[in-house]
Amino acid sequence: MLAHMIVSHQLTKRYGKTVAVDNLSFTVAPGLVTGFLGPNGSGKSSTMRMILGLDAPDSGSATVNGVAYASLAWPLREVGALLDAKAFHPGRSARNHLRCLARTNDIPMNRVDEVLDVVGLTSVADRRAGKFSLGMGQRLGIAAALLGDPGVLLFDEPVNGLDPEGIRWVRHLLRGLAAEGRTVLVSSHLINEMALTADHLVVIGRGTLIADTSVEAFTAHGRGDSVRIVTPTPQRFVTALTRAGARPSVADDGSIVVTGMLAAEVGELAARDALTVHELTPRRASLEDAFMELTSDTVEFRSSDASAVSVPATATSR
Amino acid sequence: MTLTATLDLPGRRAGLRQAVKAEWAKLHTLRSTKWALVITIVGAVAVTFLATHGARHQPGEAAAQGFDPTNTALAGLALGSLVVGILGILSMTGEYGSGTIRSSLAATPRRGVFFGAKVIVMGVFALAVGLVVSFLSFFEGQAILSGAAPTATLGDPNVLGALLGSAGFLALGALFGLGIGAIIRHSAGAIAAFVGCTLLLPVLVHNVPGNPARFMPVMLLGNSVAAVVPVYNALSGRSGFLLMGLYTVVALALGAAALARRDA
Repeated sequence: MLAHMIVSHQLTKRYGKTVAVDNLSFTVAPGLVTGFLGPNGSGKSSTMRMILGLDAPDSGSATVNGVAYASLAWPLREVGALLDAKAFHPGRSARNHLRCLARTNDIPMNRVDEVLDVVGLTSVADRRAGKFSLGMGQRLGIAAALLGDPGVLLFDEPVNGLDPEGIRWVRHLLRGLAAEGRTVLVSSHLINEMALTADHLVVIGRGTLIADTSVEAFTAHGRGDSVRIVTPTPQRFVTALTRAGARPSVADDGSIVVTGMLAAEVGELAARDALTVHELTPRRASLEDAFMELTSDTVEFRSSDASAVSVPATATSR
Repeated sequence: MTLTATLDLPGRRAGLRQAVKAEWAKLHTLRSTKWALVITIVGAVAVTFLATHGARHQPGEAAAQGFDPTNTALAGLALGSLVVGILGILSMTGEYGSGTIRSSLAATPRRGVFFGAKVIVMGVFALAVGLVVSFLSFFEGQAILSGAAPTATLGDPNVLGALLGSAGFLALGALFGLGIGAIIRHSAGAIAAFVGCTLLLPVLVHNVPGNPARFMPVMLLGNSVAAVVPVYNALSGRSGFLLMGLYTVVALALGAAALARRDA
């Protein structure tokens, strides 16, 4: 049952006084692209390093295929990982970098040429990798991850430094790997990228779990589009909005921020209830904003039903 | 998608054998290794040339009682011991400097295996280099000295021991560097510490009573391990080699502990 699974169990990591990852539990299942979403510095990379046994957790544990990473018999054949774009010696060629890695796990040398071809680096395979652009470095990192043809793959911000064509290619690759039944965990701070690539989302902020849900559920409820209303009668407006099923909240400056209702619907509600509106502004809140708000309020919410996720109204206020 | 390669999994696990093969591939695919090899060999040949020519043209020195044709010929190894030490350092710090350490430890997560492979590869490589330069320097030196000064042959007492000991000393120097690299992790800092220990410290303590400089690696090589005629106030060849071995074991043990304990 644990084949091709990543399990993080109450992972906690501190760097000095900073808690980078805080009691984080989630499971990554095969056959899906799982987006690991969070703002920069939210603990995604730390979590991935702990899964790979590179950093030791202060408490909790991470397992891959049911065992700690260091206990895997043939690590590269079971797990492939792209951690950062420059995880190779600048003086070594791409081909030699991959050959060195291949030797550690008895991977046949012809597989090196295969993955170089998959990532499109064949023509520059014998150049010193130190001369590579960031995008080429990413491709080499992806080649290294694919080297052992593993069932579990982790990619930390794989589209960083890639051009639009490269981004599409990565998206395609990740979806293809999942379609083959592999377990794919890909971190990103870009909600739009994840909306296109991922099936499932594990969302963290400040090291704690914010949501563990399908992409549909998250985008339906969690995208955080909102409407800002300035009115001389906020109390009445909030009551009317709440009655209409929306989720309003009053911001510090006295304006109302409401989610769950479109600007046009708010306008019609105001006309029907004869409420004065001084300003009505539709807002597309970025996920980054939502995270900042969520985490600054230290709101940790996790619905027991993973498919139903609601974002507190405050999440989208500025 | 061409990701269909099926890798048959042998019923074993990735271990030291695989790690050693990978470390050897890492070592010989870097330019710095080739440069180190060239500098060590050319440097040894050149310094031996200068040292033995000096002796040849100063008959007073060559005729003196304590003249040691073997030691004079091995003068060139001091440079090599520094170079392989730095190569040992870079074998660790190069991984940290570039982030390769994460790829390496993801591929070989058992850190003892990873470090053990580095020790084996670096030790064997430096020993081979040491054997080449010590014998090369010896025969070169004797050829230059011959006719103008006393010479030594491999059959003379302690000569073979000095040659083998000097070669082994280079291997220890490389491993000492490897240990320092694992402890300090940054190339510049580790090289500074290494050069400080081997070159600067002997100079600084030169006039300290009790001659502590004789316990420093460079002195251990020049005055103890590579000496056939005992040098006044220096350790014996055997003691010198054992002391360097002790330094190396301590550096490796600290390095291994640091690698095992720290986050990569």
